[in-house]
Amino acid sequence: MIEINQLSYGYKRKQEALKSMDLSVGPGNICGLLGLNGAGKSTLLKAIAGLVTPHSGEIKTLGHPPYKRDPEFLREVVIITEEFTLPDFSVGKYIELYSPFYPRFNHTAFQRYLEEFQLTNDQKLTGLSYGQKKKFLLSFGLATDSKLVLLDEPTNGLDIPSKSQFRKVVANAVHDERTLIISTHQIRDMENLIDPIIILDQGKIIFYENLESITQKLSIRRTDILPKEGVIYHETYLGGYTILTENQSGEHTHMNLEILFNAVVGQKEKIQSVFNQQVNA
Amino acid sequence: MHSYFDISRFWLLMKLELFKSRRGVAMTLVIIFGLSFFLGMIVDLAIEPLTLVFDHYENYTFSLLIGGFILSSLAFHGLRNTLTRYQFLMVPVSAFERVVCMWLLTSLGWILVFTLTYTLYTLVANTIGQLLFSHVKFNAFNPFSEQAFTPMKYYFVCQSVFLVGAAYFRGYVFPKLLILLIVTAFIALIIAYSFMHDVILADDHTVEECDLENMPSVKTVWTCAKFFFWWLLAPINWVLTYLGLKDQEV
Repeated sequence: MIEINQLSYGYKRKQEALKSMDLSVGPGNICGLLGLNGAGKSTLLKAIAGLVTPHSGEIKTLGHPPYKRDPEFLREVVIITEEFTLPDFSVGKYIELYSPFYPRFNHTAFQRYLEEFQLTNDQKLTGLSYGQKKKFLLSFGLATDSKLVLLDEPTNGLDIPSKSQFRKVVANAVHDERTLIISTHQIRDMENLIDPIIILDQGKIIFYENLESITQKLSIRRTDILPKEGVIYHETYLGGYTILTENQSGEHTHMNLEILFNAVVGQKEKIQSVFNQQVNA
Repeated sequence: MHSYFDISRFWLLMKLELFKSRRGVAMTLVIIFGLSFFLGMIVDLAIEPLTLVFDHYENYTFSLLIGGFILSSLAFHGLRNTLTRYQFLMVPVSAFERVVCMWLLTSLGWILVFTLTYTLYTLVANTIGQLLFSHVKFNAFNPFSEQAFTPMKYYFVCQSVFLVGAAYFRGYVFPKLLILLIVTAFIALIIAYSFMHDVILADDHTVEECDLENMPSVKTVWTCAKFFFWWLLAPINWVLTYLGLKDQEV
């Protein structure tokens, strides 16, 4: 679905946001794209969607060079950004004007999403709150039945019940021919939703594993005393420690994504040795 | 489905762009007709009481050009900032379809819509004008006359410059383009003067009135300039517009 080889891109010369990146993503996944501010997450999404042209390297999304923005490619890709503007239409008018561009647009599913998010066709888009606008865009994006849906910080601005609705809707929207890539800082909102997990740091992919492999190789537990050996990463909490260690018992523990993320970013070499993979410094 | 042009996709885009621009076009028409009526006709007749015959061709020319240039400079309004660019660039249409669509709407579409509404406006304006200024003869506006057709030809060519501006400038397209055109015109004048200072300093009113047969180099430059304006300027600008749209990024 997405094939990237040695991709580089920068907004300014000598300041590359993506550095010789390699990535391969198949269909039927909800990928989590995690990284610190400025790690290159949004730029990677833009490159995948064809909104920037790489300076070097190769990128193919759904078999197309995305930067050529072929209409047949564009109707299979939806990107919902963190910040956006919507035209001065009603929900119904927007659907009437934009949905015909997507030949598999599912009006029944769209109405179902609207109901789920408590929106109606006669509401003006400009009159909606930020969270409602996001829900509308998500409903539209998922109803297009596009093969690739890119979501940049989708849970920002959503209230707690809306985050649950979001998880439910997204989990049900993925199928064998569709992939969702969710770029986020809100790691906790994505627990039990994203798999595999891609972590970016300074324009490079430093971690790309599925949950099965992660829980096979790593284990998280709480202890009162910090062990002197075997701890890859630890965080303190009231009265004890949360520690990330190599999984030697073979027992799968619940993977706290926030701890995992902090460990990967802070202890690249140790994580590298566990997964025996190339970690780019 | 063809990557560059598909008629069904094209009509969907036309429908979308027409709906999006409906308010802008309506406001432009209201402003133009308001200005034409109050400033171009009423005030004009009031401050020149000796006027015995009034026709609308001068107002028509001015309104067709200015209104069309403003609308053309808004042709790719979705490119104005990063947020609007996402939505603009992700609509599943080709850059070629966008250029053809906006060219049709702002060039031929504007000429047709404006001329038709202007004709209707003159019927109303003449009736009211006759009631207010009984001594003035109000000539009917004929959209098929040479006086109406000439500005249409000039608009058809010059409008393409504003489409280029709309594809390359981010925001404030009209004023930015006007500044660029003024600077370009100034440079062109200096170059023209260096080639044609004898003609410019002569007493003739237009270049056509000059004795160009005795100035072959000036005649060649003038012929080339006219050929460039009427046959090359618009196609070059359409190609530039396409290239500008094709290479857009967020």
